[in-house]
Amino acid sequence: MRQHALPAIALAAALLLGGCARTQEPASNQIFAMDTVMTLEIYGDGAQEQLNEAVGTIYRLEDLWDVTSEGSEVWALDHSAGDWVDLSPETADLLAQALELCALTGGALDLTAYPAVRAWGFTTGEYRVPSQEELDALVPLIDYTKLELEDGRARLPEGMELDLGAVAKGYTGAYLAQTLREGGVASALLSLGGNVQTVGAKPDGSPWRVAIQDPDSGQQATLGVVEVADQAVITSGGYQRYFEADGETYWHIMDPDTAAPARSGLRSVTVIGSDGTVCDALSTALFVMGAEEAAAFWQVHPELEVELVLVEEDGTVLITQGLEDSFQLTQEDRTLEVIAP
Amino acid sequence: MNRRTAALSAALALAVLLCAGFLLWRQSHAQPGTTAQIYQFGELVEEIPLDQVTESYTIPLEGEDGAENVIEVAPGRIRVRRANCPDQVCVRQGWISDSSVPVVCLPHQVVIQITGGEGDVDAAAG
Repeated sequence: MRQHALPAIALAAALLLGGCARTQEPASNQIFAMDTVMTLEIYGDGAQEQLNEAVGTIYRLEDLWDVTSEGSEVWALDHSAGDWVDLSPETADLLAQALELCALTGGALDLTAYPAVRAWGFTTGEYRVPSQEELDALVPLIDYTKLELEDGRARLPEGMELDLGAVAKGYTGAYLAQTLREGGVASALLSLGGNVQTVGAKPDGSPWRVAIQDPDSGQQATLGVVEVADQAVITSGGYQRYFEADGETYWHIMDPDTAAPARSGLRSVTVIGSDGTVCDALSTALFVMGAEEAAAFWQVHPELEVELVLVEEDGTVLITQGLEDSFQLTQEDRTLEVIAP
Repeated sequence: MNRRTAALSAALALAVLLCAGFLLWRQSHAQPGTTAQIYQFGELVEEIPLDQVTESYTIPLEGEDGAENVIEVAPGRIRVRRANCPDQVCVRQGWISDSSVPVVCLPHQVVIQITGGEGDVDAAAG
């Protein structure tokens, strides 16, 4: 039996040494882009190179989609007076995916809600409450079906404006994750201003722990923690960008039907899934829909492979059944309900 | 077992012990309570073990073109006390004491982040 001891010890040593090696630090960077702060952490061989490339990609995509920058493709679309605009493959791809999601959500997501976002002052920070007449005049300008997309070009009727803010960060996360996987990266954490995209699991094989913020604006606290691997976790909430006037709170998520902040009874919507673009788009759309419609949407679209955390105005937390094992509520005084398929 | 294998076994056993010791040491040192990291323009400028702070103090952080954030450090928590940024989002956010949400001053590119502590998470969505 003795001669078996040596291979056993060697194996144990190899496993343990492997364990030591995997405690390495990631290549990481913090950058300011797309109007937010982004933190990238990439593990493994060649991580620094992959990191530099990822940062370059983010700045490149930002330049394409910055609605306020005259050189961007989105700016060109918004100022082309109804003419066709040639698009880069990434913009065409994002627009195609986003338009599908607008249709799938029955227009609860609408890329052309930008005039409303601006009317309320969210583009400049000079907040104001527009008159009802002003809003009534804006509603007909919000209609994603008027955006035409074909063969790498697009056009938008004069007077209408589109913004990719509801999908750009989710798409960027998905795009970076795909590039990293193709480049052989097995483990990375991309936090794009509260839009979290993971590649693989943690280097030690355990899932990433992602906190979901408590939308109760009086608390800087975690509502719960979800454990994920190879997935995106994206939240839209009325607490993220808002202003108060005459005792009312107005937030940046617009209802395309009213050109006013969406009041559906929800405080926040978190979408967890493998496609960051889908998660980002749905987090906005389901916030506009409200809890009941959002649950029904989830039940009839299992093919999207997403899970949801909905927080209602009274603090009730609704999770979809797939999260029962991976979501842990930290605010233990809250009511937790499970949405069955 | 000949002398050669015995020596090899001993060497390997030593490696195993060292490695196990290192892992244990790491584990015991991985949770030193909460640490606040202050970043400016993406660079780490200050690291503060919040569990070792006994008295409040402020750190003035100067940026470009007269930009200033005055950061207040207190036992177990940290905030931006005042800033001359246009939106005041960082000031309005108030104190943070855990890793769930960082304080971000976008106009001045200042981020305060807390790591470690109970229920440590890898990232936050929101």
